[in-house]
Amino acid sequence: MNSVEVERQLLRWADAKALPAMYVEKWLVLDESSRTRLLEIAENLRMRTGQFITSFILLEEVAVRESQSIGEILARPRLRRVLNSAGSGPGRARALLDELRTLRYPRLRRASARLAEEVAAITAPPGIKIILPRDLASDEVRVEIVAHGSAELEELLAWLKAKSGEFVRLAAMLGGADSGLEFEDARTLAEPQAERANESARCAFQK
Amino acid sequence: MNFELDAVVIEENCRASALASRVVGGIPPSVQVSYVSDGRPAARSPANTRDPFGAGKRRMVVMRRRSPFLMGCPASSTQFACCGYLVLVLASNCPMDCSYCFLQEHLANNPGFQVFANYHDAFEELDRLASGSSGRAFRVGTGELADSLAFDSLTGISRDLVSYFSEHENLLLELKTKTDEIDNLLALEPRGRTLVSWSLSPMRVFATCEHRTAPPHARINAARRVLEAGYKVGFHLDPLIAYSDAEQDYLDLLDNVFDAVPPQAITFFSIGGLRMTPGLRTTARRRFPDDAMLLGEEVLGEDGRYRTFTPLRLRLFSKLRERIVKACSALPVYLCMETASVHHRVFGASPLTPAALGSRLAGR
Repeated sequence: MNSVEVERQLLRWADAKALPAMYVEKWLVLDESSRTRLLEIAENLRMRTGQFITSFILLEEVAVRESQSIGEILARPRLRRVLNSAGSGPGRARALLDELRTLRYPRLRRASARLAEEVAAITAPPGIKIILPRDLASDEVRVEIVAHGSAELEELLAWLKAKSGEFVRLAAMLGGADSGLEFEDARTLAEPQAERANESARCAFQK
Repeated sequence: MNFELDAVVIEENCRASALASRVVGGIPPSVQVSYVSDGRPAARSPANTRDPFGAGKRRMVVMRRRSPFLMGCPASSTQFACCGYLVLVLASNCPMDCSYCFLQEHLANNPGFQVFANYHDAFEELDRLASGSSGRAFRVGTGELADSLAFDSLTGISRDLVSYFSEHENLLLELKTKTDEIDNLLALEPRGRTLVSWSLSPMRVFATCEHRTAPPHARINAARRVLEAGYKVGFHLDPLIAYSDAEQDYLDLLDNVFDAVPPQAITFFSIGGLRMTPGLRTTARRRFPDDAMLLGEEVLGEDGRYRTFTPLRLRLFSKLRERIVKACSALPVYLCMETASVHHRVFGASPLTPAALGSRLAGR
């Protein structure tokens, strides 16, 4: 497709999806490769308007963070893999959004995964639920106990007492201790080593 | 430092003031001066300007302040462990332009760079504070809604302030700045009642976000010079921005400070993570769309502000505290706009009350 065809198709897609004018304008001023790749994901993944806007915003933010164009980001192997994978369009759109969020919030993603592993390792019985703060936005650990009768409650409390060390460790991790955020690892979160080397993606946040 | 003005607007009733005379006498001839009966409309957001906030910084309005000069710190809240800081509003807005600055939202409707010619009236308010306090000491700063020293070579306000505070044992003046404009200060005798504090950031934050400010090394050098001239000094690592190499950069910055200024001679460090209301975040990103520092890993917290997600933020706080304590275990460190629980995690102890901490910092 030449650039005139891309623009025509882009406007057709935007019109069909009632994409707000602000995003259409932003889309049109992108470099040609970014414009085309964005159209490609919109069409191939049969994105809904909301999914497209969220993807666009995340891509814009990653582009500023990493001093790359949207086209370059969408050409990364891990994103190409999602785009080229089997499965429904909406399913792949969700997977793409997930990957974009990982690129945009790499350390948050890793810390969340680390804490989720820690919670899973505690293997709480059915009556106990461990709830971490959404997006790790606070330092609060919530433990919910649902018991039917005093015997069950006593049993769950005893279990909690026996596991107190693990809960204390979880709380400490929320405060930044051993939560996978060690300085030397911070830049390796978004991409596996080999992939990063291939792409030579230079992160603006790195020296 | 060399800040530029497009225009100076002076209220008629301030025409004869010492401040207006100093300003008119100090600006370049190219700056247009006009006189108006009421300066407030000139301070408001102009229509048909793409960046009213930026334009406001270049329009100085010399006017009378109609409200009290002294107020509690606008950042204070019962949900945070606060430092008891009092704010003296002698000016509003600032010629520098930091991409993260809260004034972009706070002064959105009133962005003109106002300087209050009747600032001597503030001394009466301070007299009342000092005499009614039964032995309590207060830290009073002028650097909340403006930089304390930007344009001081033009306005000369610091001379009157330092002189006033030097005669009040239970008041400590804090001049908070990102400039190295200290020439007026060096000619004065603070008698231990003025502290000059610098907001400090690593070179990368300075280069990306802190437009028209003095570079970090110039701020540190200025701190050393005012210390030698008899002033107290403090530092604010605020806002702490958690980019990927932040931890090492901030630790290096602390080492640079301690190389230039003996840690035992520093009155305090404050630390505050980058925090932005949704409105501020939108405004800042609109004004600085290419600033990667505004696109960190911030999440919406319970207080309605975006902050770096908790484990990372607290880890950085703890690392910096450790380095400061290692340099001097007696050096006070406090957190700005954080809860008591965060304070407890970082320091291993509950925070003092705002009044107690404020008094302690003012009296040290």
